[in-house]
Amino acid sequence: MKRTANDWLLDTFAYFFLIAIGLMMLLPLLNVFSKAVSEEWAIVSGKVGIFPVGFQLDTLREVVTSSTFSHAFLLSVGVTIVGTALSILFTAVTAYPLSKRFLPGISFVMVLFVFTMLFSGGLIPNYMLMRQLHLINNLWVLVLPGLIGVFNLLVIKSYYESLPEALEESARIDGARTYTILFRIILPLSMPVIATIALFYAVGYWNDYFGPMIYINDTTKQTLQLYLQSVVMEANTSTALTKSVEDMMNMSPEGIRSATVIASTVPILVVYPFLQKYFIKGVLIGSVKG
Amino acid sequence: MNTEVQVITESGVGPIGRKRARKREGRWRFAWRNRDYYLLLVPGLIFLFLFKYAPMYGIVIAFQDFNIFDGVRGSEWVGLEHFQKLLHSEEFATVFTNTLLISVYKIVILFPIPILIALILNEVRLMIFKRTIQTIVYLPHFLSWVIISGLFVTILSPSGGLVNQLIEALGGKPVNFFMSNDYFRSLVVFTAGWKEVGWNAIVFIAAIAGIEQEQYESAAIDGAGRIRRMIHITLPGILPTIALMFILRLGSVLDAGTEQILTMYNPVVYNTGDVIGTYVYRVGLGKMDYSFSTAVGLFNSVVGFILVVAGNFISRKLLNRGIW
Repeated sequence: MKRTANDWLLDTFAYFFLIAIGLMMLLPLLNVFSKAVSEEWAIVSGKVGIFPVGFQLDTLREVVTSSTFSHAFLLSVGVTIVGTALSILFTAVTAYPLSKRFLPGISFVMVLFVFTMLFSGGLIPNYMLMRQLHLINNLWVLVLPGLIGVFNLLVIKSYYESLPEALEESARIDGARTYTILFRIILPLSMPVIATIALFYAVGYWNDYFGPMIYINDTTKQTLQLYLQSVVMEANTSTALTKSVEDMMNMSPEGIRSATVIASTVPILVVYPFLQKYFIKGVLIGSVKG
Repeated sequence: MNTEVQVITESGVGPIGRKRARKREGRWRFAWRNRDYYLLLVPGLIFLFLFKYAPMYGIVIAFQDFNIFDGVRGSEWVGLEHFQKLLHSEEFATVFTNTLLISVYKIVILFPIPILIALILNEVRLMIFKRTIQTIVYLPHFLSWVIISGLFVTILSPSGGLVNQLIEALGGKPVNFFMSNDYFRSLVVFTAGWKEVGWNAIVFIAAIAGIEQEQYESAAIDGAGRIRRMIHITLPGILPTIALMFILRLGSVLDAGTEQILTMYNPVVYNTGDVIGTYVYRVGLGKMDYSFSTAVGLFNSVVGFILVVAGNFISRKLLNRGIW
């Protein structure tokens, strides 16, 4: 087909627009990365822009090997792994009976779950409950209240419903019980959707800030997000705590903060290719249902 | 073949067999025979009642003068006193205004951008470019608010941040964006956009992919250029999706981004940045005013609930689609 002047204009605009948006997304990351690896004098004198000035990994190494960072990091890894595993198990099991619409009363149970998406007790009643359950400053508080995400439950449920029923029937005629069918037939067949949901959960647990901020005030139980927030805000107000660390290591607050942010971003960047592959599927299963 | 069907219907397997079995045996016996399914539901139900419905009982303290020592049973009932206080509180008026302002800015400014991104991405024929852009613009969605706040504290820093270097180079005075009541709301809206505009485009990209190709072909034969095809085919094609997303978005107008603002704000910008979610946190857990903040939270939940249900109702009526 012939390209008209209008087409040419449209293409130029499209590429400019998208490059501008892409740059806007990358700039903050590049700038902070550069500050994390640039030479000290360059950061202090404000010479660091998009690209690093000089190159050193000392700041990053100091940050990563510092006991508070590594402790918080490992804690977040632990919470994410345990939380994701339990969430998957609970969600995948609960979704199974919910996918059997012929069961008497099952649609009412579904309504009970969906209602909690629309209405919740709110912050203070939740806090009071956690205190009664002795979960304040207990790491389980970061996992238990969010064990089943109703959105994820709906995604798995609709996947189960799309599986051919004949598979189950033949197993049932062979005398298999419901549990066997779920764990031996349904779950192995549902691996694609389970992978998607696992990533949803893992990113949720890893990025959670609100939960630990409310329920964890013991500094020895700080998750990575809590620790990072204290570093970011301390650098903002320059309190005594980071000052002493800086003096010891002769590093600028700017450099330390940037290095901490980058070190906390790396895990997400590592899993991002997988995320991109599975997440988009998940979003579409969940949101564009007729 | 015939005997097999017989066996299936006898044992209540398969849609027909189940229906017959349910009729023959009655509801309860049928349910009892399928008790394995209900047993699988038990852990989920325990979770649901313990962590989702039990806190709803705690809402009663919004109608009490709750103190920890007397507990929910011993505290004095005060009826709607806290709600009256809320309606006459100047502080709450500020918080409510902030919430609405930030939310409305977010909707007006940020809602159209993902649609624009999807429309424009659709015009790009160079696949590698398209993929690269998609990879880049989806990424911020996966970063936590704490990280994003850290990124922007750095590039907006009044001492040597990238943006302020630029402002100074152009002869302006450095601005402390995080500490300025003039800029804080813009900062919140901008960073929310930075995180989500790319991600929110996915739904529209999928909707565009669902438009029949024949429509484009016949329009091309009729001599319609690409811009006209975009306006007359693509845009109407995704209009139902746009409308649905817009209605759903309106339903969460009272959530101005609590976690986001919690990671970004400080007492200096309470005036413009304090929203309902952060206010409940500050008053409830900070000042230990449990009853009043629960009342604020309940007000928020009820209005939010009404908005979502109304939004879904409208969407069902107008578009024949909804979230349930």
